[in-house]
Amino acid sequence: MPALKERPKPFVLPEFCKGCGRCISACPKHCISMGTEINPQTGLTPVILDLEHCNGCGLCIDACPEPYGLQQTPADADYELQDPAKLFGDRMTDAPEPVDIPNEIIPLQKMEPLVLKGNYAAAVGALLAGCRHFFGYPITPSTEGAELMAKLLPHLDGMFLQAVSEVAAVNMMYGCGGAGMRCLTFTSSPGFSLMLEGISYMIGSEVPAVFMNVMRGGPGLGNIAPEQADIKLCCRGLGHGNTHAIVLTPSTPQEMLDLTMLAFDLAFKYRNPVVIASDGYLGQMTGKVSLPESMVKPGIPAWGVWGDKDHRRNLISSIYLAETDLEAWNVHLNEKYEAMKVEQRADLYMCDDAEVVLVACTTPSRMAKGAVGALRAKGIKAGLFRPITVWPFPIEKFKTVLPNAKRIVVVEASNGQLEDELKLALANARICDYPEIENVRHFGGVLPQLEEIVTKVVAGQEVTV
Amino acid sequence: MSTTSFYGKFDRHSHGEGLKGHATHYCPGCGHGLAHKYLAEAIDDLGIQDRTVAVSPVGCSVFLYYYFDVGNTQAPHGRAPAVAIGHKLANPESIVVSYQGDGDLASIGLAEIVSTAQLGIPITVIFINNAIYGMTGGQMAPTTLMGQRTATSPDGRTSFTGMPMKMAELMSGLDGPVYVERVALFNPKQRNRAKKAIHKALQIQVEGRGFAFVEVLAECPTHLKKTPEETEKWVEEMMLPVFPLGVKKDETREPWWNIAKPTFETARVLKEIGAGEEKAPRYCTTFPSHVAPHDISLKLAGSGGDGAQTAAMLIVHAGINEGFDATHIPAYGPESRGGTSYADVHVADGEVLSPASPKPDVLIAFNMPSLVKFGPDVPPGGTIIYDSSVIHELTPMRAGVKVIGVPMSEIAKDLGKIMVKNIVALGALQAATGIFPKETFLTAVRRALKDKCAMIPMNEQAFEWGVKAASEVLVP
Repeated sequence: MPALKERPKPFVLPEFCKGCGRCISACPKHCISMGTEINPQTGLTPVILDLEHCNGCGLCIDACPEPYGLQQTPADADYELQDPAKLFGDRMTDAPEPVDIPNEIIPLQKMEPLVLKGNYAAAVGALLAGCRHFFGYPITPSTEGAELMAKLLPHLDGMFLQAVSEVAAVNMMYGCGGAGMRCLTFTSSPGFSLMLEGISYMIGSEVPAVFMNVMRGGPGLGNIAPEQADIKLCCRGLGHGNTHAIVLTPSTPQEMLDLTMLAFDLAFKYRNPVVIASDGYLGQMTGKVSLPESMVKPGIPAWGVWGDKDHRRNLISSIYLAETDLEAWNVHLNEKYEAMKVEQRADLYMCDDAEVVLVACTTPSRMAKGAVGALRAKGIKAGLFRPITVWPFPIEKFKTVLPNAKRIVVVEASNGQLEDELKLALANARICDYPEIENVRHFGGVLPQLEEIVTKVVAGQEVTV
Repeated sequence: MSTTSFYGKFDRHSHGEGLKGHATHYCPGCGHGLAHKYLAEAIDDLGIQDRTVAVSPVGCSVFLYYYFDVGNTQAPHGRAPAVAIGHKLANPESIVVSYQGDGDLASIGLAEIVSTAQLGIPITVIFINNAIYGMTGGQMAPTTLMGQRTATSPDGRTSFTGMPMKMAELMSGLDGPVYVERVALFNPKQRNRAKKAIHKALQIQVEGRGFAFVEVLAECPTHLKKTPEETEKWVEEMMLPVFPLGVKKDETREPWWNIAKPTFETARVLKEIGAGEEKAPRYCTTFPSHVAPHDISLKLAGSGGDGAQTAAMLIVHAGINEGFDATHIPAYGPESRGGTSYADVHVADGEVLSPASPKPDVLIAFNMPSLVKFGPDVPPGGTIIYDSSVIHELTPMRAGVKVIGVPMSEIAKDLGKIMVKNIVALGALQAATGIFPKETFLTAVRRALKDKCAMIPMNEQAFEWGVKAASEVLVP
């Protein structure tokens, strides 16, 4: 007669028992009792097993909240075994080291330019950059971007999802970007405010994504006309913590496309969100847009939490409980911000001999450019310095205009946010010797106009003379 | 046996060394460990460890990723379902679990859980309800019972601080979820049910059937200030009457989650973005500098439905087809229909610099308020074209401004479609200013209507009538 096959009985290492006693009431045979001796290693009182009446039902194991608490005794158990590595194995994980699946660059033939609204141009740029995932919440004057994505993404087997709020949208991007995919949102100032929490998490856990902020009038509900009053937010206020992101400032529908494509490259190069700060005019403005020479078929980065064996090791997280761990992480992030400074970009228009340097970005830079022509016609040596990145501020290029500059005039649609970036960049570069900064400012949705820039400069010249 | 879905060693602060390498950070008797175990066992059993992405919330289970040997993401407070959706849509083959506590899910994340559930996309949500905030130190949760004392309801919860949130019932009232069950952990029978429920909630996702939600009534002995045994009793005696156990919804839905991979096929992408149109023929020999030297600014103003924006876009297309730069900016009132609708257009031989038209060289006014508002802005040498069908009295304009009335609405009505009055206006614009040759406009109109060919003849007629009507006014 074969020996009666016994079910395996439980055992527990006292060090891994917290003495909660949930197993005690679970045992129908009353084999388990609360201990009396405090374990010197844990300071807790583990339970005591008396297995004389145990029939191996396993209910105690199901009741134990600890993964390495009550266990079934292995068939070949060595009861003296106390080393967890020997007992449970020494693997942390058996998942393989993650590998990069690289992007593919697909060349495009030369084609007739399109006539597109700025928001559409940015959406087309995203599609050509390999973005197939869009999460957003409708907000004027950015909505056309979302609308075009809603129309086109299903035809390209992509995903468009209108979230319950900007808060949800940014977190969908956090998940999708964390999986390693290229995703985008269109929003405008009040919506961008709501996304800042998520952006902070994304920066903290190195998740790339592209945010198109079509800036409108504020504060509060403000209006839907163009403003540049989120420059402070984009450059200095991306949520809590020590955050930064590259901030691109397009000035034409063409740049809405080009800089959106660039934004994806930069976002993945640095594993960091990229913000495109455009304005209500640019979003709504229709113009001529040429297509790029190539488009991107994205791969999957090694770090992505993609959901397969090759990426099982990965973790997207921004929590570092130990102060020293968080400091080390912040040091890493700050080194990255420092490295991003090579991405400074600016467009210099007639700056070579400029004595009056206008500084402007997004739509106001167009009026400023017009003003340069008008001033030159009056014999005033004017030039336009147009930052394409406001963070990092293109200070290296700005240095080149300083030797000739007798006047600096910042033209902007905010209460001096671009000027603050310029001043901070000058201070950080230890440049103290520069002309007093003048300004032409509007806010509320009115943009600085060509004539008033000219008037301001001309009036100043007379005073100087 | 231990499940392979747990790490062999937990990478806690001591980086897996010593006691912490094999013990959770949960307090003795906490329900989280049990829910973790049942989840790990289900992942093992379904063979989905490699495909699983677990979303850790904020709360005591923020460190879920210490334990599960799967892809891990740690989400902002309350946002785990949104993060989970991001993962699921990024890789539809991944199995995504959002694990949340009561503060995370039923308070700060209420919008996210409700909207995600309603989407019905197959993800699995494990909701741990222990009626209290654990990590922050025993404050009132949305699920705290009436009269229950917590750090922020020291005299017991009153109706002033709301009633306990019954999430399983709320979820089951939505159309999105296919499976909603509330389970508990206080005795072997309940634990067995909890195990099965978690298994089922995952299986439903694996089969691509839909959104599944399991609420687990769990114990928090530390903050209830009770022994683990007393806490089990408390859950049974106090929580159960408020949060009845059982299946709240179990709908049979056939597997439907079958998502194609994104395409990057060049031809399809180009077709979708509208690229590859043939080059339009050119009819201009030089820039129309007789209208303005280098940059012509136009304003088209009317009310919504007048077609000002469409006409503006046609001018931009015409300008760009001729090799010039051109821009259009719309401005609307807050109304979707019937409000003001203004379009600023520029055509430049170089680059359009100021896209707005505060002092337009040409104004097309479709109604009286628009004419009154913008007419005086037109500088000497400029042109105003207005719809004389609706504007019968003229206010004085600046000297040297050409003012031309064309009965746009009447012409359009006679043609059988009031909507084409904007094309009549374009004809008038052509005749009054000669900004582009007729063929330039007609080409732009034909190309815009290439998918509605039947409309082309009427639009051509409208244009010709506009030309004719303006020419007649101009002759004397």
